[in-house]
Amino acid sequence: MQAEPIPQQVEQKIELVESADLVVGVLAEFNPESLATLCEALRTLSGVARIAVLRDDHSANPALDPARSNSETYEECGSTFLVPWPLLRPETPDTPMLSMSAAYQSVFAASEKLGARACCVIASRLETQAPDWVRQLAQPLLEDDIDLVVPRYARHKFEGLLNSSIIAPLIRCLYGRRIHNPLGPDLGVSRRLFQKMVGNDRSARIVGEHPIASLAPAALCENLQVCEVCVGARIYPPTDWMNISSLLSQILSPIFLDMERNAACWQRMRASLPVPAIGDPVRVTEDAGTVDISRMVESFRLANRDLEEIWGLVLPPSTLVELRKLSRLSLEQFHMPDELWVRIVFDFALAHRLRTMNRDHLLKSMTPLYLAWVASYAHDLEAAGASALEQRLERLSLAYESGKPYLVSRWRWPDRFNP
Amino acid sequence: MWSQVKQELAQSTARFLARFIGLLPGIAALILALLASIILAWILATIVRRLLASMHFDQRLARWGFPSLAEWSPLQSPTLLVAQAIASLVIVAGILIGVAAVAPEWTSLLVQSVFAYIPNVVGAVLVLIFGSIVARFLSRSVLIGAVNLNLRYARLLSIGVRWLVVVLAVAMALEHLRIAPGIVDLAFGILFGGIVFALALAVGLGSKDLVTKSLERDAQKGSDEHIGEPFRHV
Repeated sequence: MQAEPIPQQVEQKIELVESADLVVGVLAEFNPESLATLCEALRTLSGVARIAVLRDDHSANPALDPARSNSETYEECGSTFLVPWPLLRPETPDTPMLSMSAAYQSVFAASEKLGARACCVIASRLETQAPDWVRQLAQPLLEDDIDLVVPRYARHKFEGLLNSSIIAPLIRCLYGRRIHNPLGPDLGVSRRLFQKMVGNDRSARIVGEHPIASLAPAALCENLQVCEVCVGARIYPPTDWMNISSLLSQILSPIFLDMERNAACWQRMRASLPVPAIGDPVRVTEDAGTVDISRMVESFRLANRDLEEIWGLVLPPSTLVELRKLSRLSLEQFHMPDELWVRIVFDFALAHRLRTMNRDHLLKSMTPLYLAWVASYAHDLEAAGASALEQRLERLSLAYESGKPYLVSRWRWPDRFNP
Repeated sequence: MWSQVKQELAQSTARFLARFIGLLPGIAALILALLASIILAWILATIVRRLLASMHFDQRLARWGFPSLAEWSPLQSPTLLVAQAIASLVIVAGILIGVAAVAPEWTSLLVQSVFAYIPNVVGAVLVLIFGSIVARFLSRSVLIGAVNLNLRYARLLSIGVRWLVVVLAVAMALEHLRIAPGIVDLAFGILFGGIVFALALAVGLGSKDLVTKSLERDAQKGSDEHIGEPFRHV
C-alpha cells in the first residue's frame, strides 16, 4: 500500500511557502532550542536563498513546545521556513519501517513540489550534533553536485549490529561501493535522485515502496555520485520494533526486494571501491567488559533443534551440518565463521526471491541465526578497541565479497547449484 | 409330471441363456470401455506427467505457496497426484460408459446420484486443501514465534495448532460428505476439546517463563533495548 505522499491538509502550507532551494525533513523529536540551532546551521550554507524545514508535528515535544505542535501555518526564521508537517503518523497501524518510508516519500514529494535543488532527512535526535550534520549533508549536494550523501557515524562496537552484520557488507559486495551506513537514516538527496523516487509513472520509478532501503542501491546502479560525511555518534530515537524478529523482517525484506529488482546491475559488479569521504572518521572510546551471550547462544541451540525443518527448505545440507556442529560447541568455544554467516545471508536472500515459504516466516526464522552471529561477534570483540572493531568488520566485508560467486551461481541456477 | 418338470427346466434354461446372450454384448462393451479407458488414462497421465515435469510444476507449486500439497501426493510429487487424478477420472468415465452399455436404466440412476454427490466431494476436497494450507501456515507462525521467544515447548505448541486446524477441516469435510454427521459432531467436539485441554495444560504448566518475558517486554515497551543489553541492532 502506497501512502499519499503529501497529505491534503498540508498541501496549502506548501503553496504558501511557494518555493525552496533546500528542503529539510526532521523526523526525530525536537525542542525549540534544537530547532534554533538547526536554523543557525542552515544560515551558514552558501548559495541557498530559501530553505523549508518540514518539522514533524508528532515529534514535537508538547511539554517543551505546546504552541508549535498545533500551529496551522509556517513560521519564518530568516530565510528558513518552518512548516509543521505530519511526517510520521503514529495513529496508523504501520510498522516503523513503513512509517519511515512514507515520511521519506512525503519529504521527496514536498521537495519536488517546491522545486528544491536538494533535500535532507534527519532522523537522529536533534539535541546532539545533528543540527550541524544537516549542513554537512547539504553542502556536497549544493556545492559539489553529489547525488546522495550518507553519514558515517562514529561506531560503537555493539550498536547498529544489523547494519554491520548484513546491510553494509551486503550493499558493498553487491554494488561495489564501501558505504558504512547505506540506510542512513540521516541522508542528503539531490533533485536528480529524489525525482526518480517520486515519478508519477510507477513503472518509471527506480525504487519500490521503501525509499530508505532503495536510495543507495538506486544511486549506485544509476551511476550517480555518492559520498560519505564523517559525523559523530548517533543518538537513536526510541522506536518500538516489537521484537528482534519483527525488526529483521521489516528491514531485510526491502533490502532483499531491492536485490531482486537490481539483479542485473549487481551481477555485473566485481571488486568494491571506497566512496569519497568528507572529514575524518570519528572514533569513540569503548568500555572493555564482558558481555553475556548465553541467552543468544541458547536461543540458537533451541532453534537448531526446532527450526531445522524450516531451515532445511532454505539452507543447503552442508550449511545445516555446520550449524549442527556449531550448536554443540561450548559457550567459550562458540564461534560462527564469517563464511558460514555470509552463505546463510545469501541463501535467505535467494529463498526470499524464490518465495520458498511465506516471506515473513522466512525472515523471522533467521533471527536465531542472526543472534548466533551476534554472539560470536561479541565474543570476538569483548575486550577489543576501535581499531580491532574496524578490522573485524573489514574481515566480514571481505568474506561477503569472496562469497559473491556463490550468490551469483545460486541466484542464476537455484535448482542446479545446490552444494 | 416328469415331462412337465423337464419342460419347465428347459424353458427356464432357455430364458436364462437368452438373457445371458442378451447381456454378452453389454459385458463385452463394458470390458472394452474399461480397457479403452485404462489405455486412454495411461496415455493422458503420461502426457500430463511429462508436461508438468518439463514445467517444474512441483517446484513452482512450492514457490507459489502450496508446499503442503506435496505431503498429500504420492512420492511427495504433486505432478504424480495430478496425473493420477486425471487417470482416475478417465477410468471412472469409462466404467460409467460401460455400465450404460449393459443397462442404461442403472446408469441414469447411478449418474444422477453420482452427479448429485459431486459438489459435496468437491467442497470437501477444497475444505481439506484449504485446511491443510492454513494448518501449515499457522503451525509455522506459532513455531517460529515460540522459538524466537525461547519457549522450550515451541514444537508442541506448533503441532497442537496444526492438529486443531486439521481436525476442524476434516470434521467440516466429513460434514460436507454427509458421512455420519451425528458421530462426526460428537467426535469432533471430544477431539477438539481434548486438544485445547492438552494445550492449555501444556502451556499452563510451563508458562512461568512466558509470563515473565511478557511482563518484561511490557515494562520496556517504547525502546528496543529489551532485545538484549548492551546490543543495539539498528
